[in-house]
Parts: sequence; C-alpha cells; structure tokens
Amino acid sequence: MGWETRERGSCYYTRSKWADGRVVREFVGGGSLGQVAAQLDEYERRQKGEERLYWKEERKLLQQSAGFLRELEEACEVLTRAYLTAAGYHKHRGEWRKLRESA
Amino acid sequence: MKALELSKSTRDRLAELRALSEEAESGAKGARQALRKAVRASPREVVAEASELARQGQWGLIKTAAAGEPLREEALLVRLDLMRSEIAGPAPSPLESLLAEKVVAVWMLTELLELLSAAQLSALPKSQRVEHSFLKFYVGWQEQAHRQLLSTIKTLAQVRRLQTGIPNTQTNVQINLSATSGEQGKVPF
Repeated sequence: MGWETRERGSCYYTRSKWADGRVVREFVGGGSLGQVAAQLDEYERRQKGEERLYWKEERKLLQQSAGFLRELEEACEVLTRAYLTAAGYHKHRGEWRKLRESA
Repeated sequence: MKALELSKSTRDRLAELRALSEEAESGAKGARQALRKAVRASPREVVAEASELARQGQWGLIKTAAAGEPLREEALLVRLDLMRSEIAGPAPSPLESLLAEKVVAVWMLTELLELLSAAQLSALPKSQRVEHSFLKFYVGWQEQAHRQLLSTIKTLAQVRRLQTGIPNTQTNVQINLSATSGEQGKVPF
C-alpha cells in the first residue's frame, strides 16, 4: 500500500490485496481522494495492530496464570515415581507392577 | 505478573528424588533403601510448596473466570474447596493431596478455557471477538488441559489402588441371567 508516482509526475494512492489467490493492486486515486483513502487505511492498520497487541497480552497473562501447571506436573510425576518405586513397584510397559520379593 | 514457580531448594529435592528413583529402577544396590529414606524425609515440604503454588495459580484462574464479580469468585472458591476435599478423601497421603490439588487446578483451567471459547462461539459483536489464531490456540490448550485432567485422575486412581494393595488385574464376574430367571433365550433389559 502506498503512493505511486507516475511518469507524468502525478501521485496515485494504491493498495494491494489478495484476490483469487494472487496479489492485485488497486488504484484508488490521487489528490484528496487518495489522501482520505490513505488515512482510512492507516487508521485500520493501527486498529488491527492494537487489537493484535491486546490479544497477545491477554494470551501472555493466561499463559502465566496457568504456567504453574507445568511445575505441578513435574512435582507430581517425580513424587509418584519416587513413592511407588520406594514402595517396591516398578514400571513395566507404562504400568506400575509390584516387584517380586526375592527369596 | 511474576510467573509462579517452585523454589530452588524444592527443585533440587525433586531432582534428587528423580535421580534416586532412576537408580532404584535400574537395580542399583542400596538405591531403593536410600530412596525410601529420601521419600520419608523430604516430600511433605515439596508437597506443601507445590500445593501452595497450585492454590495461587487457581486463584489467578478464578479471578479471570469470575471477571471481577465477587460473588462468582467466592462461589468458585467454595466449589474448589469442596472438590479438593471430596477428591482427596479422608486422611489422604501427601501424594494423594498433591494429586487432588492438581485435579482441581486442571479442572479449573479446563472450565475457564471452555467458558472463554463458548463465549467466543456465541454471537458476540465483532469488536469483542478474538482473532482466528487466538481461538485455535484456545482449542489446542483446551485439548491439552483435558488430557492432563484425565491423566491426573488416572494417576490418582493408580496410586490409591497400589496403596491399598489391590492386585493390578481385572476380575470379571459373569452372572448368567437366563439361567437364574428361567427365561432362556430372552435378551435381558
């Protein structure tokens, strides 16, 4: 998107967009029409940028409040393993089994 | 906001327990004895700290789910307390307490993600709708939380079964209905 200078020296405001799987350049116009279109596009771009930032922050907050689960998971996994191994169990193909007592 | 994490001493203790478990599992002489001692000595503090961490995290999730409504916050707190005591049962071992805490925490996360994605799928005005990529992230996380919930419940059930000494086999009891009722050939129910 932007201003394009023609050979004659006049400026045109153009915007690029996707249509039928390819980029198409749309010639909006020059002068005040071009300026209004450029300002509207700029406004929309900023709004989208702000929205993206907002959701990024939201996502970060949620990830932080749920991040403790990873720590909790690790603690649970290690303690379960330690408790059961100490109690005489062993893991066989993903399943805990009691070790046979040796005579 | 500071990320919730276990202290260095707890992490060290967990690393020590993990190393001892691995040694014992590989059959190293005396490792099982050392592990028993370590299990008796350290886990209570580890469990206490991990449980505390879980509660703080749950509080963060409650605040998001309640969206600033004090009544909803209180209701969720009471509900989590009830769940915690029901799941842990009477006189739980430290490990059972921790696993119960994790079930509650993951349940809370699952509920919250469900609430958020349901809100997004309802007819919200465009300005309040999240981006498509964000919604995809929600759904992925929801699946992950659901899997975690099921695996924690399974681990708790396993620990309980092994602690009570019930053998790890399934016993099927067949009751021959047609023979007892005398109505042979009739499909029951």
